[in-house]
Amino acid sequence: MGKKLTITNKIRTLRFFANEMTQLELAEKAGASRQTIMALEAGKYTPSLELAFRIADVFNVPIGEVFECIKEENNND
Amino acid sequence: MSYKSKRNLISMVVGVLLIIAYTIYAFGKASPAPDDLKTWAVALLIFIGISVVVTIVIHILFHIGLAVGMAVKEKENDDKKVERIIESSMYEDERDKLINLKSSHIGSACAGVGFVAGLIALALGISAVVVLHIIAGAFAVGSIIEGCVGIYLDERGVRNG
Repeated sequence: MGKKLTITNKIRTLRFFANEMTQLELAEKAGASRQTIMALEAGKYTPSLELAFRIADVFNVPIGEVFECIKEENNND
Repeated sequence: MSYKSKRNLISMVVGVLLIIAYTIYAFGKASPAPDDLKTWAVALLIFIGISVVVTIVIHILFHIGLAVGMAVKEKENDDKKVERIIESSMYEDERDKLINLKSSHIGSACAGVGFVAGLIALALGISAVVVLHIIAGAFAVGSIIEGCVGIYLDERGVRNG
């Protein structure tokens, strides 16, 4: 088995630097619901690749600047 | 609690109330004879029809209540913003589809277990009316479990893959 991956994001920070964009505005621009944006920011949802690209596109940044992948050591290996 | 969780909760409450109503009917004086399969089937069909109508009416009332509640809660915002918030809350995106998929898998599994339990009961010689109720009950309980799982995943979080 591979290492466990944890996906984090900087959506809250990016919203702040985008003139304090609201979750509602981001949701409308990215084609998602406000609950999904809230869940993303709280780390309760991992988006599909398509939504991840759409969110990055809203902030006009590469996807790697929005989402980050942390590899966790698996003690069972 | 999000709009979708509230909607699931309303559906569950309606489901439970309909099960209670049916149980009262089934154990009441007006219930058909224990071996009258045709009349029991008609009664179940009528209750399914009633549950569809009641669910639609309750959901319409819930939407009206939600819109009024949201308008009161966001009274400092203009009508257009409130409309946008409601629209965004009701919008069904990939996360909702994933939650629906996972919860319906569990609900269907429960209904499947009930169906097999019904067949086993039939094989053991239990009356067809009881088997009919085991199967109908499994579907009803399955839909309630589906609602519970939906709320759980909505509140706790869900992952792709």
